[in-house]
Amino acid sequence: MAVDLLTLAFQRPHIDWHGIAPELVLLGVGALITLVDIVFLEKARPITAALAGLGLLATAVPLLTLAADGTDRVMFDGAYVVDEFSLVMKAIFLLSAYVVVLLSTNYVAEGDYWENEYYGLLLASVMGMVMMASARDLVSIFVALELLSIPAYLMVAWRKRDLRSNEAGLKYYLMGVFASAVMLYGMSLLYGVSGSTMLDDIGTAVAAAGSSVPVVTMAIVFIVAGFAFKVSAVPFHTWAPDVYEGAPTPVTAFLAVASKAAGFVALLVLVLVAFPSASDVWEPLVWILAAASMTVGNMVALRQTNVVRLMAYSGIAQTGFMIAPLAVAGHGGGSADQALSAVVTYLAIYAAMNLGAFAVIIVLARKTGSAETTSFAGAFHYAPGLTVAMTIFLFSLAGIPPLGGWFAKFEVFRVLATAGEPWGYVLAAVGAVNSVIALYYYAALARRMWADDAPDGDHAPVPMTPSLASALGICGIVTLAFGVAPQLVARFTDVTLAALGG
Amino acid sequence: MTALAALEGMDRLTSGEALVAQNVAFAIMAITMVVAALRMVTTRNVVHAALYLVVVLAGVAGQFLLLGAEFVGVTQVMVYIGAIVVLFLFGIMLTKGSFGEDDGVSSEKRLMAGLVGLLVFGVMAAALVDSFEDAEVAREAPSTTAEVSDSIFSTYIVPFEAVSVLLLAALIGAIVVARKD
Amino acid sequence: MLLNQFLLLSAVLFSIGVYGVLARRNGVLVLMSIELILNAVNINLVAFGAFRATVGGEVFALFIIAVAAAEVGVGLAMVLLMYRNRRSIDLTAIDQLRG
Repeated sequence: MAVDLLTLAFQRPHIDWHGIAPELVLLGVGALITLVDIVFLEKARPITAALAGLGLLATAVPLLTLAADGTDRVMFDGAYVVDEFSLVMKAIFLLSAYVVVLLSTNYVAEGDYWENEYYGLLLASVMGMVMMASARDLVSIFVALELLSIPAYLMVAWRKRDLRSNEAGLKYYLMGVFASAVMLYGMSLLYGVSGSTMLDDIGTAVAAAGSSVPVVTMAIVFIVAGFAFKVSAVPFHTWAPDVYEGAPTPVTAFLAVASKAAGFVALLVLVLVAFPSASDVWEPLVWILAAASMTVGNMVALRQTNVVRLMAYSGIAQTGFMIAPLAVAGHGGGSADQALSAVVTYLAIYAAMNLGAFAVIIVLARKTGSAETTSFAGAFHYAPGLTVAMTIFLFSLAGIPPLGGWFAKFEVFRVLATAGEPWGYVLAAVGAVNSVIALYYYAALARRMWADDAPDGDHAPVPMTPSLASALGICGIVTLAFGVAPQLVARFTDVTLAALGG
Repeated sequence: MTALAALEGMDRLTSGEALVAQNVAFAIMAITMVVAALRMVTTRNVVHAALYLVVVLAGVAGQFLLLGAEFVGVTQVMVYIGAIVVLFLFGIMLTKGSFGEDDGVSSEKRLMAGLVGLLVFGVMAAALVDSFEDAEVAREAPSTTAEVSDSIFSTYIVPFEAVSVLLLAALIGAIVVARKD
Repeated sequence: MLLNQFLLLSAVLFSIGVYGVLARRNGVLVLMSIELILNAVNINLVAFGAFRATVGGEVFALFIIAVAAAEVGVGLAMVLLMYRNRRSIDLTAIDQLRG
């Protein structure tokens, strides 16, 4: 067969090396850790955590130069975009992952786990997240989702001899793979409607087809359901409490913060770029997810006796708040931009306060050997500093001024109220009622730590390590900064998507 | 050139006889696949289920050839049938103490699952028929492997590189989790 | 050939896969049912690719095949780990966690 070689000539893609520098640095660090592991085997164990932490910080350097440069970069036919939104999300992912490394340092070393491989997988997962922040086509989003999920499935099962960890891993894996298969079916329909995997083209095609086409509706339902699983929104939340409880606690913190944020990134990008014109389909869906998550999450959290399960249900309720602005994001006239900024602000603050709470839980559980709420009683008597820190994080999660969580909730309510939609007001009312309920169980846990007496009168001081202290410090500073000086800090999370003409 | 077009008298994909042959081939494969898939999810023998899965996967590869996606079809045979099914068989072999666990599935649970399955199919079929009505797959020339690779190495280069990281991470993690220690 | 004959075949496979995920208790069989769903997606993508005469669908299908291989490897590793610790891969017997 005579093939005309000229017509088949391969066009080398233009590669903007500066634009993908963060991913390249991360890739280099991951490869370095794998190499160090292969060459030095067990002797490398003391340095891999430090290597991973430094690598994550080094990845932030090109992020800063890109932010200083400030131009939106569109690469590979629009499949990969570097804009304000992606830079801020990448920074959130990297900082959260750095705190998770700090939290893991002693936990993983003491537990006799496979340490070098643990950090390798962690970096691979972070790479998936960083990629997700820039991905603007279906293939990139799918691969980024799997790259961040598959190492996470394995890390949940990392406590190999613990049956609960095994079960949590298998459960998370099966539900995650099923959810991504359903989501893929939705993606295949979007491709069928538009003939392209680029979100921009899909947005044009969906707008042309109109949301009345049944396959468009079906595709949106499948995709939103798939990502609702990832961010653990009700009714796709059932895996979260079990997995959070069974997984090693630093991995739980990673899932609760970074993995959830990555799900939100994909959801935001898909909804606001690929099918903004079909808002009559996804707005009611998101509304139901938000209201159900807030209510169910808080109701069940009220009767939890295990702190990690309590945090899981509180996380489900927080998901409801985070997703709420999207329920009114489809009215044009800047409503999408406002909702986007509100969600990103919430994600940043939530990452800080939730990681902080998990840091305290890890420290205290190391002493008491249990995560039951009763074993946290009387912590003030032997660890006053930690108790104060925990109280700050819990009250921030509840949304009490002047802590960061207050500003996050304020932004959400502002978006809901200014949309001028009756449904927006109703959702704001649901959120307000739920904030009060949430305060009850957060305050109950704090009261137990301050007022009750320690079980068995054990007042021995808590062993504290530098890495845990610095993790607490980072989380505390960010939580307070957003609460005390919101106007100063919120500039960073007031972002736009390049595709929205920002 | 698809496999079918290479046959004598079928030089044009859209010629009448070729079209009939394609539809017959489609029907035979589709019926086989559906029967095999149904047997796969209902049989009690796990090894038989894996073999029925092979039939479905081979059918999918055949459909790819019919649609002119030869590279994907060959990949389907090599990766799915050649690697993934073998993995499944290894998994079955190493967990053979668990055979027969499915015997006790309550009939209510099956009924519920069946109803959900039927409902899902009904909704999907209605949506698809309504949206695409009688659109034809009318491809003049099947895609060449060169087109596929050009696309992978330009537009989709980032996910391509990411998949290599993914495979390495999955490999290392799976070994750590599965090995005895 | 009609586009819908491929799409409906894929819908049948998808529904059978959903049935398998909901009805089976053996971890390996659930995993196989999920593979059915992924294959349904691939048929969709390749059929749409032929319909739209663009190469994106085929590329997407290739990526799904590659990722599915990694997924199955990881899944079977976890099934194996669980079997070694408990001598069973019956999913309804996952009871250590209060769910």
